[in-house]
Amino acid sequence: MLKRFFKDLKRYKNYVFYATGSELKADVAGSFLSWIWWILDPLLYMMVYSFVAAIVFKSGTPAFPVFVFIGINCWQFFNKTVKSSVRLVSAKKGIVTKIYVPKHVFILEKMGINGFKMLISFAITAVFMIAYQVPVTINILMLIPLLLILFIVTFAVSIIMMHFGVFIEDLSNVVTVVLQLGFYLSGIFYSIDGKLGGRLLGQILIYGNPVALVMSDMRYAMMGEKLGYGEFHFLALGIWAVIGLLVSWIGIRVIYKFENSYVKII
Amino acid sequence: MEEVVISVKDVKIRYRFLKKISLLKSMFSLKKFAKTEYFEAVKGITFDVKKGQILGIVGKNGSGKSTLLRALAGIFSPDEGSIDLHGHSISLMSIGVGFNGALTGRENIYLSGTLLGFSREQINEKIDDIIEFSELGKFIDRPVKTYSSGMHSKLAFSITAILETEIMLVDEVLSVGDARFKKKSYEKMKSLIENSDRTVLIVSHSMDALQKLCDSILWIHDGEFKMMGKTEEVLPEYIKFMS
Repeated sequence: MLKRFFKDLKRYKNYVFYATGSELKADVAGSFLSWIWWILDPLLYMMVYSFVAAIVFKSGTPAFPVFVFIGINCWQFFNKTVKSSVRLVSAKKGIVTKIYVPKHVFILEKMGINGFKMLISFAITAVFMIAYQVPVTINILMLIPLLLILFIVTFAVSIIMMHFGVFIEDLSNVVTVVLQLGFYLSGIFYSIDGKLGGRLLGQILIYGNPVALVMSDMRYAMMGEKLGYGEFHFLALGIWAVIGLLVSWIGIRVIYKFENSYVKII
Repeated sequence: MEEVVISVKDVKIRYRFLKKISLLKSMFSLKKFAKTEYFEAVKGITFDVKKGQILGIVGKNGSGKSTLLRALAGIFSPDEGSIDLHGHSISLMSIGVGFNGALTGRENIYLSGTLLGFSREQINEKIDDIIEFSELGKFIDRPVKTYSSGMHSKLAFSITAILETEIMLVDEVLSVGDARFKKKSYEKMKSLIENSDRTVLIVSHSMDALQKLCDSILWIHDGEFKMMGKTEEVLPEYIKFMS
């Protein structure tokens, strides 16, 4: 099965790249500022969050906008990809009913689109880091494995959601609510480690939610020095990476087994 | 001995009347999963197709022709039996697969082409031929959403006709565009078909087209194998049966 997965990946990688680029282009096609929107869009959002962070929350966290941006960037990638995956097969009906495409290709396409947007958001975050004089340490290298784990976990959740989304018509309603809850529990506007670190609730929130874990460690990697607290949770990250890979493997198996009957339902 | 490129063995394809389930509804209902009903569209069909063969598939509406073609293309797998393509590439000629209206015709050629499994280089080699055949001229660099339906079909036909695979499955696409383009696409089909390396399976209701294009005919009736043989033998029988 893994052999087939990699063979498919090789065959459809061109499509994934091209479709990702196409959708990004189509997003801004026809608008006056064209590709500038790719930067303007996250920038404007971040300004809103900075405003909320600075005026409403009046947080004592140093470089609070940077702190929030890191959280938002990770969360948006996960949130947007998972949300779109629930109805992905129906959304691609035009393709699915006409030719054979391994369905996880569509998830990779979505991850490409949202990943590109996340990258731009991180570039803007870097500018803010300079403005807030956040010192960069060697810890920043941890960004690479952290992003990788975020990708694996997002793929794993998305592939399962995509499969069940074909059969369960109101799954997207449930997923939207759960993701909304996840938004508040992941510690985007607050630090789980800093606020609830010692308590059992804090432990559950950080170890039980891979996105919160990645987010927290990413903050430590990018602004640990400035924050003055935090640590890497290597063991927990490792465990989540293994769980992510395992669920992805199960998801791919399920997709290969059932994808041929999707057409008969949608 | 002639090489067999498609082996279909006792293929059965069922449509389950699977209804989508609702979490909310199933919470209030005890019989969560009602008995699934089946409808057998293809009921155990066996045949071989040899390299270079041009096989027409006939049968009345709902006899399972398109279902069989889609199973051959791999869109869904048979519930029983097997389909062996002996490692050959296959594509179902479909109109405008994966087009993105906001992108130009040129960009959509790449999108559609990569979706069909071709590399960028392979598409680069053929793109000029595709554009020329489609007769879209400068419209090729305008967004597809501004195209008329005729232009849309012309582009789609050109992509699938020029990016060729070893086995081509054609499902009633012989009639696109205006009369002139129709004639041209018919000629193109004919020239594609005349290449003795290419195997083609055509589903069509046009007896005229089948007579001219195909060397053999498979007749399916209500999902069952009825007859297969040379065009001049099977087609008259079928026409007699239908009238």
